[in-house]
Amino acid sequence: MAAPLYQIPGQQAPAPAPASAAALAAPGGAAARTIDEVLAQSQAAAVIDALEGDLVGLAPVKRRIRDIAALLVIDKLRTNFGLAAHAPSFHMSFTGNPGTGKTTVALRMAEILHRLGRVRKGHLVAVTRDDLVGQYIGHTAPKTREVLKKAMGGVLFIDEAYYLYRPDNERDYGQEAIEILLQVMENQRDDLVVILAGYKDRMEVFFRSNPGLSSRIAHHLEFPDYLPPELEDIALRMLGDMQYRLSASGLAALRDYIPLRMRQPHFANARSIRNALDRARLRQANRLFAQRALALTRDELMTLESEDLRASRVFA
Amino acid sequence: MMTNPVARITQGQFSYLPELSDAEIALQIEYGLSKGYAWSVEYTDDPHPRNTYWEMFGIPMFDLKDAAGVMMEVHACRSAFPRHYIRLMAFDSTRGVESIAMSFIVNRPPHEHGFSLARQEGHGRTIRYGVHGALE
Amino acid sequence: MSETVEKSASLIIDAKQRYSAGVLKYRQMGYWDAGYSPKDTDVLCLFRITPQAGVDPVEAAAAVAGESSTATWTVVWTDRLTACDSYRAKAYKVEPVPNNPGQYFAWVAYDIILFEEGSIANMTASLIGNVFSFKPLKAARLEDIRIPVAYAKTFKGPPTGLTVERERLDKFGRPLLGATTKPKLGLSGRNYGRVVYEGLKGGLDFMKDDENINSQPFMHWRDRFLNVMDAVNKASAATGEVKGSYLNVTAATVEDMYERAEFARELGSVIIMVDLVVGWSTIQSISNWCRKNDMLLHMHRAGHGTYTRQKNHGISFRVIAKWLRLAGVDHLHTGTAVGKLEGDPMTVQGYYNVCRDSHTKQDLPRGLFFDQDWADLRKVMPVASGGIHAGQMHLLLDLFGDDVVLQFGGGTIGHPAGIQAGAVANRVALELMVKARNEGRDIKHEGLNILQRGAKTCSPLQQALDTWGEISFNYASTDTSDYAVTEQFA
Repeated sequence: MAAPLYQIPGQQAPAPAPASAAALAAPGGAAARTIDEVLAQSQAAAVIDALEGDLVGLAPVKRRIRDIAALLVIDKLRTNFGLAAHAPSFHMSFTGNPGTGKTTVALRMAEILHRLGRVRKGHLVAVTRDDLVGQYIGHTAPKTREVLKKAMGGVLFIDEAYYLYRPDNERDYGQEAIEILLQVMENQRDDLVVILAGYKDRMEVFFRSNPGLSSRIAHHLEFPDYLPPELEDIALRMLGDMQYRLSASGLAALRDYIPLRMRQPHFANARSIRNALDRARLRQANRLFAQRALALTRDELMTLESEDLRASRVFA
Repeated sequence: MMTNPVARITQGQFSYLPELSDAEIALQIEYGLSKGYAWSVEYTDDPHPRNTYWEMFGIPMFDLKDAAGVMMEVHACRSAFPRHYIRLMAFDSTRGVESIAMSFIVNRPPHEHGFSLARQEGHGRTIRYGVHGALE
Repeated sequence: MSETVEKSASLIIDAKQRYSAGVLKYRQMGYWDAGYSPKDTDVLCLFRITPQAGVDPVEAAAAVAGESSTATWTVVWTDRLTACDSYRAKAYKVEPVPNNPGQYFAWVAYDIILFEEGSIANMTASLIGNVFSFKPLKAARLEDIRIPVAYAKTFKGPPTGLTVERERLDKFGRPLLGATTKPKLGLSGRNYGRVVYEGLKGGLDFMKDDENINSQPFMHWRDRFLNVMDAVNKASAATGEVKGSYLNVTAATVEDMYERAEFARELGSVIIMVDLVVGWSTIQSISNWCRKNDMLLHMHRAGHGTYTRQKNHGISFRVIAKWLRLAGVDHLHTGTAVGKLEGDPMTVQGYYNVCRDSHTKQDLPRGLFFDQDWADLRKVMPVASGGIHAGQMHLLLDLFGDDVVLQFGGGTIGHPAGIQAGAVANRVALELMVKARNEGRDIKHEGLNILQRGAKTCSPLQQALDTWGEISFNYASTDTSDYAVTEQFA
């Protein structure tokens, strides 16, 4: 408090302002001492296990996530002893073909980081270049700042991040967005985790041209293409969620379909499987539609037959 | 002349307490966010008590989840206008309120001039009063 | 229905029998209907009745319904000139009051045609004008009332309302602070203004005339207004805040009141004050005047204790508060729960809900028996005044939240280091408590610690805690809810 001009009669001048109060510590329960206690208190185990169960394949990704979770748990135990837990950077890059689960894992990652106390709020903001970069001078900085403000306390997921960098076009403002991102990634590590995602080869070129960005990425995760058995597993889960099932011949048709489709251009892993199943449902509907007078059973409405799949042009 | 006990303009919620640190400001912002308020930053060099409209530093920040986003704007405003009064206001849009719910000052000029009272005698014993920014 | 000569206690449907001259029981005349389902457009009243010994409670309830609508003590043929069933109030439910033998709750419904639009005088004359002196009732209390949305919409409500008041004062996010000038009577105009200046400059938002300060030999009202407004303007310049002082315009006639209100407006006051004793019609007139003149209206509930305090007889203050919100006041004294005047905490919170809700919900422990949709009428700012001090700030904030005016008359002016110091103590205590509550601290239990820590850098606050820290007013309340156990506040 500045010294007032006027004193209340009979009073001493007020004492100088006390040192600013530190932000209040989070209310704590009993300090955890074992890994299990930390996991139980944070309820992170459930999310990590769900990751294992819900996502097919992606072995290296799952392994890395477990490593990160372990580090965060140990950090928590260290803080309970009063030891310094200097937060390392958690910015990541996810590289892989489309449909390999990058966005899904990013969402789960946000939740895990939140449960283990690494980010404060745990929401995910997913953007592409157009959300960050403006069309004219002075447009980019506010746009990027708006996105960053919304993502604070959570995770910012930038898909196809390499489009930020267009060196051939001198009227491109992507560089400005990159500069702002670099600053935030460095100075506000406690407030925000950034995940950049895209095709592997293009991301490599992007990082080579922007070494500042690359050096701030702590974890590079590769999302390999799914193998045919994994794609089959994914297909069956999708059908289960949609409350459809395959007949025995339908399953055989699916097994034949998958490797053929993988060889076709524009294969997008899980997304292509999703589209194929949607087309199969269309054909099933058409097939059943022909029999107007028949009272369809529950089973018939749920089952996809082999002809629903074999009609695909990959079999041509 | 600033003759009140704290020698500052006493607008806002916390003017009688020591200046809030950034951490304390962040806690207040979190409280507002938890109630669903939208924060905005405003600045002025005219802190007259009847001056309702301070300059807006950006539009109100709807849909933010964390105080760090708001603090970014506070710091930006402080670097842009270090000698102005800056306040944080929280807006509550629920039906029947639709007005400001929190308001406090987060930056002050290094020297606060205060106000002087100008008196214009009227009929009888009445006086018309005017509050003017004091020059020094 | 049988047409035997013997009179039974049931409703008489046959018209000839119903309207032949003579005396019938009220329940036979149609004022009791156990199967009645209240319409959304009915006014519903809850009476707490104590029938005389030997009087059947249902008959007593029917009598209340009758005597507050169309009945008289004997059958009249002129009833048949009207669509008489519409005009009869209907008692539709009677229940014994828990733990109170001899007392009953009686619910009565009134058709909306019985009331004049926008007139509290008419509503009160209708509902309480007649029945409370009725001999067969030993005691009666109007406990609660539900005003239908259709009827509420005919009232203008508060001239300014809570939200606009805050916008005019430019003060948000904390309770407002006030103090009543003390001593209540005897100060001359110049001295009065001095008290106002010191209090406002020290940090209060409002000062207040007391209810019995009108215009007495020791201080004419014009001198008071002139000196007070001088003090208000000077304090406003000294602090940079909008300040106000409630100028009491209560007078012998309404014309005098208008004259005083006009002068207050001319001098630039933001707020004037009236006492409840001026009456309902005057209140509505002054409320209209305030709306036309951008003036806040502070209502002092002078005299209410004569009829609101005893549980068995009178009118509950929650009904008065509802009527005042409809009539149109911006501030209303609603009780402190922890101060020197009557008020059990839960019941008092019920009054606050009535003032501040858009839609009051039934809440039996808080004494609210009906849902009340306020038809978007503006909200009233409740005022807590009477025997409270800075050392109770955490209790007050916890009980009442942000939208309240906390008035510390003695607690400001009686401060050992002077009025300004008293005001500083109250303002610092308030800001500390609001800040701590926003940070997530448990102010109800840690409040005293927070105050003591803050007092280390604010000697006025330390002195206030030292002088009054031990004071509290703990007497058993005379008007607690029948439905809850209330906690005691230390």
